[in-house]
Amino acid sequence: MLKSTWRRLGAFSVLPLVGASLAACGSDSGSGSDSQTITFAYQIANPNAKSVYATLAADYEKTHKGVTIKTNPIALNTYGSTITTQLQAGNGPDVFFINAGGGQAGSVGTLGDAGKLLDLDGKIADGSVPDNAKASMSFDGKIVAVPIYLAPAGIIFSPMAAEKSGFTIDSSTTMDDVIAQCQKVADGGQAVFGLAGSMAPNTGIFTAEVAASTVYGPEPDWNAKKAAGDTSFADSDGWRTALETVKDLYDSKCFQDGAAGAGFDALTNGMGQGQMLGFAAPGGAAKDIMDSTKGAVTLTVQAMPAPAGFDTYLMAGTPDAIAGNAASKHKDLALDFISWMSQPEQTKKAADAAGDIPVGTTSGSGLLPQYAGVADLITNDKIAQYPYLDWPNGEVYNALGTGVTGLLTGQMSVDDVLASLDKAWG
Amino acid sequence: MSALTPVSEKEDVVVTVANPVARAARERRHAVPGWWAVPGVALALALIYVPTALGSFYAFTDWKGIGGWHWVGISNFKAVFDDKELLGSLKNTVILALGFLVLTNVLGLLLALALNRNLKTRYLLRTLVFMPVVLAPIAVSYVWSFIFAFNGPLNQALGSVGLDSWQKDWLADPTWAKVCVLVVMVWQNTGFVMVIYLAGLAGVPIELEEAGALDGAGRWGRFWHIVLPTIRPATGIATTLMLIQGLRVFDQIMALTGGGPAGATQTLATEIYQQTIVFGKYGFGAALALLLSVMILVLSGVQQLATRERNKTGA
Repeated sequence: MLKSTWRRLGAFSVLPLVGASLAACGSDSGSGSDSQTITFAYQIANPNAKSVYATLAADYEKTHKGVTIKTNPIALNTYGSTITTQLQAGNGPDVFFINAGGGQAGSVGTLGDAGKLLDLDGKIADGSVPDNAKASMSFDGKIVAVPIYLAPAGIIFSPMAAEKSGFTIDSSTTMDDVIAQCQKVADGGQAVFGLAGSMAPNTGIFTAEVAASTVYGPEPDWNAKKAAGDTSFADSDGWRTALETVKDLYDSKCFQDGAAGAGFDALTNGMGQGQMLGFAAPGGAAKDIMDSTKGAVTLTVQAMPAPAGFDTYLMAGTPDAIAGNAASKHKDLALDFISWMSQPEQTKKAADAAGDIPVGTTSGSGLLPQYAGVADLITNDKIAQYPYLDWPNGEVYNALGTGVTGLLTGQMSVDDVLASLDKAWG
Repeated sequence: MSALTPVSEKEDVVVTVANPVARAARERRHAVPGWWAVPGVALALALIYVPTALGSFYAFTDWKGIGGWHWVGISNFKAVFDDKELLGSLKNTVILALGFLVLTNVLGLLLALALNRNLKTRYLLRTLVFMPVVLAPIAVSYVWSFIFAFNGPLNQALGSVGLDSWQKDWLADPTWAKVCVLVVMVWQNTGFVMVIYLAGLAGVPIELEEAGALDGAGRWGRFWHIVLPTIRPATGIATTLMLIQGLRVFDQIMALTGGGPAGATQTLATEIYQQTIVFGKYGFGAALALLLSVMILVLSGVQQLATRERNKTGA
């Protein structure tokens, strides 16, 4: 009796294994079941909004009869770990969104190091990777990712809210001019800037935008010097000034009350209620907000004003890119899709859809209306790349964000923050 | 202070003890051969313990979640103890866990004693106190983050009663942020502890309490010498569960402070998430996870030993 029971148990335990094996034989590992089908994964912040990547995939299908692109939108906060896991498991998408540089999970540096990226050298449109983005799109000297738009980051500004307090800003405004107006704006129940002080990405981008004028505008190769050991955060007057500027803004009541402990909800509520005049974010956010209000709100993108003694630079770069899976079973089709996306016609369409600027733009003409305030900076090449793209890991940007919070709450001094940045760099 | 033990249950116990034949028959009826546990044990091994052991292996590597890895020995663990911020996270973990353990148990026991009997509305009140337990911690914590916000109801309430000087940016203050996290944790879990103690109090014989009262023992004396020793098994369960839950607190911190301000509320659990998912340092994250697991095992073991020793003393 015991033997027969064991046999029955054995049969039951084997059944799922057999089933799993058959299922594995029948699966196509997510790479499409025929040579005309590829998969395309990308990150999305808002599941209700149509992604620029979905638009591109649909357009490619229209112009390439018989081709199917299976899109896979993945939530922004889990994208890096999801794509990493899929590629490691061998069931990654053929084409996918990738973070430029080596500073984040699922970025060019980490995936390139693991040998997961297709070599795009000579297979994409000429000029589709700007010179100042080549390092962040390459691994081992080969281009492995291609940007599809240039993303300016500045102040998402509400002229309507500013009208109430009489606040003015343009590309010639200095940070001292801003600080001089802060008390008046605060007295009127508004804040010049909204800051989600408890969110490292928000404090990080705010400070990075200041550093565009104090560090990366005047010294575009600062990251290379740092990597070579020729400089450090602690020795950088530009970084010191950037941090001191944020503290000055805080002390001068340029941020909303409770900014140090605020979350992103404070920004959306504050902007929605007209209590804030602007906040630091990638320029595409202006289009997202205007679209979500169906045109009821008009926003502009302004460059972060430079502190005294510095020229204003617009932080604009290529943090978002597209790459191919080196293990794809449909490399030719994947490469053709990537090459097609890198063509000027597509990058223009992608930039418009994302509310950004086409890659390679050197003139202020032809931009979306919200960029009128930064057009002259673009024309005059007063542009600085996103600093963190060339940083060696994500900890540096996190140290910047949390360090600024510590600066505002009094937990850290400027020297402490600079030291933590050097330590995080490694 | 306690509820009566049902008479029928007592009689059943007496019959069982007094009749060894009936007990043997019942044992035969309910006897389960040990091998029936094999599939369950195999599943537990395959789904829990083997993956855990494999995951622990990565604690000794520099794996980034993709590609190859190098054996780094104990350097990940050394890095934890060499890093001031990570040591701060370790300290926060212990402080929050101990605070959570003490507060939930003290408040849970007090509520259980108050709502044990003699109160007409006790069933309604028990339900109300237990209600937060069934809510999702992440959702509850987001609601509390609005309460603690600078322009939130807490500061507004303080202002409305003239306590303007007490108003502060609660979640941006390194000390108060920890208190806020603890408040939310305790608020949500006290009801669960109360239920455990209510179950324990149901087993306290009323005769003992009455005898104590006749011998002149006051309320405190009866509680200390009769109720508390009797409910020690419930105390053991409640303290162990709260200790474990306190050590692995995650949701409340992520929703309330995100580990801030400037790392002031980071714990081992949030560090594991950050190092692994955000920074892609899977090897280092595994080391932190292993450390947290060992901490939970050791502290739970110590707590169990302490409870067992007291049981012997109390017997």
